Amino acid sequence: MAENQVVLNVQDLKIGIKMEEGLLTPVRGVNFDLHTNETLGLVGESGCGKSLSCKAILGINSKNCITTGAIEFIEKDGEKKDIVSMSCAGKEIRKIRGKSISMIFQEPMSAFSPLFTVGRQMVETVYMHVTKDKKTAKEMVLDTMKKVGISNPEKRYRQYPHEFSGGMLQRALIAMALVCNPRILIADEPTTALDVTIQAQILELLKEIQDNYGMAILYITHDLGTVAQICDRVAVMYLGRIIETAPTKELFANPVHPYTKGLLGSVHKIGGGSGRLFSIEGSVPLAMNLEDRCGFYDRCTDKDVLLCGGVEPGLKQVGEDHYAACCLDFKK
Amino acid sequence: MAETILKVENLSKVFTSGKTKIRAVNNVTFHVCQGETVGIVGESGCGKTTLGRCIVRAHQSTEGKVLYRAADGQEYDLQNIDKKQLLKIRREIQMIFQDPYSSLDPRMTVYDIILEPLKANFKDMPKKEMEERVKTMALKVGLNPSYLKRYPHAFSGGQRQRIGIARALILYPRLIVCDEAVSALDVSVQAQVINLLKDLQKEMNLTYLFISHDLSVVEHISDKVGVMYLGQMMEYAPTKQLFRKPFHPYSEALLSAVPIADPEIEMKRIPLNGEIPSPANAPSGCFFHTRCKYVKPQCAKDSVEILEKEEMRYVACHLKDELDLSGIV
Repeated sequence: MAENQVVLNVQDLKIGIKMEEGLLTPVRGVNFDLHTNETLGLVGESGCGKSLSCKAILGINSKNCITTGAIEFIEKDGEKKDIVSMSCAGKEIRKIRGKSISMIFQEPMSAFSPLFTVGRQMVETVYMHVTKDKKTAKEMVLDTMKKVGISNPEKRYRQYPHEFSGGMLQRALIAMALVCNPRILIADEPTTALDVTIQAQILELLKEIQDNYGMAILYITHDLGTVAQICDRVAVMYLGRIIETAPTKELFANPVHPYTKGLLGSVHKIGGGSGRLFSIEGSVPLAMNLEDRCGFYDRCTDKDVLLCGGVEPGLKQVGEDHYAACCLDFKK
Repeated sequence: MAETILKVENLSKVFTSGKTKIRAVNNVTFHVCQGETVGIVGESGCGKTTLGRCIVRAHQSTEGKVLYRAADGQEYDLQNIDKKQLLKIRREIQMIFQDPYSSLDPRMTVYDIILEPLKANFKDMPKKEMEERVKTMALKVGLNPSYLKRYPHAFSGGQRQRIGIARALILYPRLIVCDEAVSALDVSVQAQVINLLKDLQKEMNLTYLFISHDLSVVEHISDKVGVMYLGQMMEYAPTKQLFRKPFHPYSEALLSAVPIADPEIEMKRIPLNGEIPSPANAPSGCFFHTRCKYVKPQCAKDSVEILEKEEMRYVACHLKDELDLSGIV
């Protein structure tokens, strides 16, 4: 297999939203990079900032978001583009959206307009980025539909979104995201709304697509089961920052950050008996007027008052390709 | 062995819309013992939510009985008793809903939400006593009583679910139907609420009917599990036994599809052809035959009944004595 290249480099990404009560900071300094042929899981619970961070990569956050930092996208020919500096409605970002970087969402029914056929909506992407020739564009779409396992694509092309089941519509959404052969696919909880047997089909499809297309997948989820099955590496987010990253097997086997440990402990593994589930005390604080110390301090049961009461820790290496933002010393 | 508290017998619910007939619940039979948790699992269109609603008589069933053994020792058919009796019995049967955002009236304070069942059923209770009961219940579910005068929007999803639980428990019921009670919550919040439900069950000798699509949660919390497909109960067995070795091909396929939170274990998914058929257009014979990998000609012709295969284990499959299926673990 070809050497994996860096395709996205996110540095110190911060997103603020001005509110009446003050400045909300749902993303407070996110750093990660993404390689071709790799699936990076971005894991975290509601409000941790994972969706906002990923939408910033496509510049599709709402206008009241103030984004700082750098999101460097590297094209096939090596050209580097900084997305944060692009205007959200500008020509530059529109050349990237749907072509070099695509996104699929949780609710496929909301991602399609109910007023137009699925085919008409899918072919729009091709008209924008590849060719305006109707026949070629339609063929490209039909071809991609076959690749994602939509049977009878000619018939489906002419149907409306309400005529598709949830799983089939998610496949159509994936096809729409892939039709222009993107470098990066961002998947925001794509299987949460689907039945478990359909979810399994979609996860397998994503793996297959990655093998065939060689693209990078940024997979956002709170479901640790899907992370374990599909992701090569995982980044765990809490309160707007990445607090741990590691290869998947390493993260599950040797979690370092107390939040990661708590999260893994909260999940019941089938066959694991019916003892009490570990639960993290309290709830996620509001991301406003936060003190400059570890975001997990108030809920952490492992904390050391002397070590942890100081400045917010950055990511430190704690193992091979394994980093954690924790003041406690875990080096063996 | 514990006494049976609920007997669902040949329960069916058909929704009619013009010429379309949807058999949401199709001839379902099972028993629940006092103090246990029975999980009901299945995917879209399987009828588990409708089943839950029929049991609390939020729906009037088309056929069948829901026999409930009340605190007075008598057995009542909830589907066929008169309104006066129903109102009395309903104090003993409550429901917890999935969506913590739509299941609480946004215009009522949390105090009033929890108080409402008390006011409705015990109009003559002195105000002070009602206040005491509400505060006690709030503490029991982990809510700070000093926040009770706030409105639901001031609380997080997990806290709102606790409010829903307090509201369901204020009358000290005996049977609670939890309809996807933790599905809308984050993983760590789910753990808190699941632990709470288990603690309360022990303390108050509650019986739970736990409806969910999440097999991991169901395995953790249930003593017995019923697997539903297109309105029919396909399998009913003690949880550990079903997960270790299912008897129905659909259970086998469902278990094989659950993503396991352990990257060392590779999933060996059993592929199911096609999509779940529409309940308005159910297949002939055994409803599952169009997607079953073990299908034989008989399966397309004859409908199935749920029958006992081993002690306490029931399965609806023509091939139940021939198949050797695999589970998880």
